[in-house]
Amino acid sequence: MLEFFKEGLLQFLSYSGFGNCTWGHIIMIGLVFIALGIIKEYEPLLLVPIGFGIIIGNIPFTDGLQVGVYENGAVLNYLYFGVVKGFYPPLIFLGIGAMTDFSALISNPKLILIGAAAQFGIFAAYITALLLDFTPMEAGAIGIIGGADGPTAIFISSKLAPSMMGAIAVSAYSYMALVPVIQPPIMRLLTTPQERLIRMRPPRAVSHREKVLFPMMCILLTAFLVPTGLPLLGMLFFGNLLKESGVTKRLANTASGPLVDIVTILIGLTVGASTQATNFLRPASVLIFVLGAFSFVIATASGVLFVKFFNLFLKGDNKINPLIGNAGVSAVPDAARVSLVEGQKYDRTNFLLMHAMGPNVAGVIGSAVAAGILLSFLY
Amino acid sequence: MKSIYKYIFTVVALFAVTATFGQSVDDLRLNEMMIKNVDNYADEYGRHVPWVEIFNTAYNTVNITGCYLTDDTTGLAKGGEIPTRWYRIPTDQKMYMPQRSFLIFYLDNSPLYGPYHANFNPAESKTHYIALISANGKELLDIVEYPVELRDTARTFGYVKDGVRDPKAFKQGKREAGELDYLGEFTPASSNETGEKISKQDKLKRDDPYGIGMAIISMAVVFTALIMIYIMLKIFNYVTRRATQKSKAQEQAVTPAKAMASKAGEEDDTVDGPTCAAIGTALHLHFGSMHDEESEVITINMPSKHYSPWAQKELTMKRNPRR
Repeated sequence: MLEFFKEGLLQFLSYSGFGNCTWGHIIMIGLVFIALGIIKEYEPLLLVPIGFGIIIGNIPFTDGLQVGVYENGAVLNYLYFGVVKGFYPPLIFLGIGAMTDFSALISNPKLILIGAAAQFGIFAAYITALLLDFTPMEAGAIGIIGGADGPTAIFISSKLAPSMMGAIAVSAYSYMALVPVIQPPIMRLLTTPQERLIRMRPPRAVSHREKVLFPMMCILLTAFLVPTGLPLLGMLFFGNLLKESGVTKRLANTASGPLVDIVTILIGLTVGASTQATNFLRPASVLIFVLGAFSFVIATASGVLFVKFFNLFLKGDNKINPLIGNAGVSAVPDAARVSLVEGQKYDRTNFLLMHAMGPNVAGVIGSAVAAGILLSFLY
Repeated sequence: MKSIYKYIFTVVALFAVTATFGQSVDDLRLNEMMIKNVDNYADEYGRHVPWVEIFNTAYNTVNITGCYLTDDTTGLAKGGEIPTRWYRIPTDQKMYMPQRSFLIFYLDNSPLYGPYHANFNPAESKTHYIALISANGKELLDIVEYPVELRDTARTFGYVKDGVRDPKAFKQGKREAGELDYLGEFTPASSNETGEKISKQDKLKRDDPYGIGMAIISMAVVFTALIMIYIMLKIFNYVTRRATQKSKAQEQAVTPAKAMASKAGEEDDTVDGPTCAAIGTALHLHFGSMHDEESEVITINMPSKHYSPWAQKELTMKRNPRR
């Protein structure tokens, strides 16, 4: 009898988390993410689900119980399917499209070029990753972190480097959350006090017809050029058409509200859970984090420097304040908010938010196009 | 408003033209052919007949419907009736050849067997070439002269490197040495290059080890895409401005009095200081929850009990059905 109890207890212990725990499970950083989200309020809608997912993914268990995210038949595995097959990111893009107002861009079209320049971060990271001996596919997946777009990063990494998806997604979302910390020093370093005071001409009013035509024309122009970006671009502009058409309010509300919330919860939780210590704690993950930071820095710098270069050809009140150059990365609307805050440090009456929203939404389009190019080259 | 439709029409037309140019039949090649087919590739009826493989060398879809396959080019560029040994490729879903794809046609002189069966058989031909001709019957898209012995040999003949030919020499009716030859293996509907295959990854690593080439191309494409949107938005700007100016001018021309009134109205639109202050105060009160109208009243007085039909029991009871 005693032997039975002893054996039963030992067997139970072997199934429990205590019996399977390793140092790797303990040092995973889920709690840090949750703390950053709740206490610092850095992108809480993303960091809290990801942080909790990291905790779920790192509860130690015996293989074969069908509970882990990588085990066939597990509930988490079914939810993770949307990440692996890449259908969550386009759904998020549908919601983003239904939330985004492209008026700032339509009224001042030249700002769109900043969104293109900032994509250099992606390719700078790609080149650096190749130098560090990553394969071209892995380098492409790492480079996309520089687009500052979580769904795009997940979409691309699920296609090009599925084994690195956890690290890439966590890295992308972390740096997106840290946009207010990473970008200001670079912006200050690359601009002069006079440049920071530039006042931009207020944007003109945009008609309803322009807003409706914009998504339709954009999808034709961009998808014809880069069809591989269709899942992201198509959903982005479809969502925007739902919003701007004025006749599909219910669909737009669903896409920008409940749908995007549900997918955000699922994608955050499952991406977090995919960072199991056994897969995540590798030297490559550290390199991914370093390269991600590097690509963010380059993307920000490219945007700011491009505005400075562009200003050489502009006169009078057409000049652009280089403090909106950082918004070329597609972290909407955080990057634009950083422009506003930085601008107001030097002139409290200079409101750059709406101007910065132009390159910011252009960054979303630019990163989706860049993702399409990476796929066409590498997939 | 008509001008807007004009611009939309221009853009759509531009797309149509681009798409047409993108689908160029010039990129088609007669990549591989077999005349003495004893026991090799069989058609859908299980017959071993001569075949030719068309290869789309382009990186886009090409519609080959309407092009001609023939072993007799004497009718080329003459117009008029279609020569008897010209096989017009019919409409079929598979005729839209995807990028870098292959399509097999059987040269068995049995066009009734289906769209992939030509109306001539090179084994019975006086010539020893096969040609692909454009839909207008005037351009020679590709022509492959094969050795006469091919008719007696169960081997395939074609491009050593898939569809690679010297365009200058081809225009002059010549061929570079080694461009066409007997092929080591027969590879219908697949690449003729049967040597060691290099993956896309390895090729990229070999050709662009530092990724600089790809970075330049990619940035160029990103800029192109966004510049196209920029141009479109510029057109939007221009059209909107013109439409606004036009409607204003029309209004002023038709009713000057109305125009004066609207001008006066515009002046009235400017908000003066006290109004701004009033709006600001109202917003401040609203957002600070300091509104003066409360939804409920707190009092020490005994509230009077008013009559309410909700309290009447007979109204809540079920009525008897009417007869």
